[in-house]
Amino acid sequence: MSPAHGFRGRHVVSADDFSKADLLSLLDTASYFESDVGPRLAGKILATLFFEPSTRTRLSFESAMHRMGGSVLGFADEKATSRTKGESLADTIRMVESYCDAIVIRHPQEGAARLAAENARVPVINGGDGSNQHPTQTFLDLYTIRKATGRIDGLKVGFFGDLRYGRAVHSLAKALLHFDVEMTFIGPSMLRLPQELRDTIQARGRLSKEVESLDDAKPLDVLYVTRIQKERFPDPSEYERIKYAYRLDRAGAERFGPDLKILHPLPRVTEVATDVDDLPGALYFEQARNGVTVRKALLSLILSDAELPAR
Amino acid sequence: MPSPHDFRLQDGTVIDHLPVGMSARALVILGLPRDGPVTVGMNVPSARFGHKDIIRVEGLALRKSETDRLALLGGNVTVAIVKGGKIASKQRLEVPDRLVGVIRCQNPTCVTNHERVSPVFDRVSKAPLHLRCAYCERSSADPYVFVGA
Repeated sequence: MSPAHGFRGRHVVSADDFSKADLLSLLDTASYFESDVGPRLAGKILATLFFEPSTRTRLSFESAMHRMGGSVLGFADEKATSRTKGESLADTIRMVESYCDAIVIRHPQEGAARLAAENARVPVINGGDGSNQHPTQTFLDLYTIRKATGRIDGLKVGFFGDLRYGRAVHSLAKALLHFDVEMTFIGPSMLRLPQELRDTIQARGRLSKEVESLDDAKPLDVLYVTRIQKERFPDPSEYERIKYAYRLDRAGAERFGPDLKILHPLPRVTEVATDVDDLPGALYFEQARNGVTVRKALLSLILSDAELPAR
Repeated sequence: MPSPHDFRLQDGTVIDHLPVGMSARALVILGLPRDGPVTVGMNVPSARFGHKDIIRVEGLALRKSETDRLALLGGNVTVAIVKGGKIASKQRLEVPDRLVGVIRCQNPTCVTNHERVSPVFDRVSKAPLHLRCAYCERSSADPYVFVGA
């Protein structure tokens, strides 16, 4: 058993702040946390400050805390707080930190988690700040990929759907730059990857191809699907056209062979047909389950001296 | 005191090697003219850069917050301090590694545009100049929007 250095008391604001060694430490710890680890966090309190709606992130953090004997306080609706009286975010954080051992924050404004971390003496975990970062989603995506394939290095990973605005895509693609992964991007031209990120991936020699059709993306080991958001389209008829063109159905998935692993950060609307769900490679609900495991590991590393299994 | 027809700096500042057209922005940044005389040369020939803009201001001493802003106007901007009609010192301006409270984030949903916090930018690269908001992590592109502007 070896201790995971560098996590205790640490803020988790951006996946970019984590080295490859950090990521591997976390994934190893999460494997160990698949089983019941007992009340490791008894007496610890997590504050969940959700300034905008969330289902999976909030509930999985709460579940992780409860499963380790800790407790949770917080709110899921900003309207029930003094923010409506004009309280600043910094003041809210300075007040909440004295009630808890760590804070999870989701906020519609980019950078809110960084600002919260600067004002908190307890660790702050970013549960999503606008379209910027959602680091624990990236951690659980990496964990799901490694758990399903047994590796990360050497994989061919495709990203399908909204490549331009999808923060889960950007964050996972950046994290995959730590590994020897070939990345393919599949989406409509108006939702292409932001130029800066595209250039970074290309400069690192990890950009395999950018295509508009799923059939042009073969072969792939992993396909990461994201929802195309209606509000991004000024012309509703264009959205309707793209919505049906960028949809993965069972026949489309099967053309990649039986080993394709399909991930989706959820919620899903129409981009993955329900007839895909019972394919063995359809991992999105397991991915959501893994969210609890990974968040258990992260909370334990941050709030206690978690011990890692020997590698 | 120099005559209006023969203006030579006695004690003041020369802002030189501004990219052509940038003198107008520099005047706005510095709130010029203030008390003393100001001369502005636009599109003047330059041995090193072909053409440049230049500003000479009598009685002006620049603060760091002002030189940080001027540095954003171009990679070769120099500031010379003139004392007794002679150049006492000269420096080429550099954008610092971290800019605090100098420019505003252009992302309307960045937290710095909604909360009481100074915008912070980190310099990712010098040439080409690449600045990233330390909060929302977006890159900021010229033209920069200065705090207080």
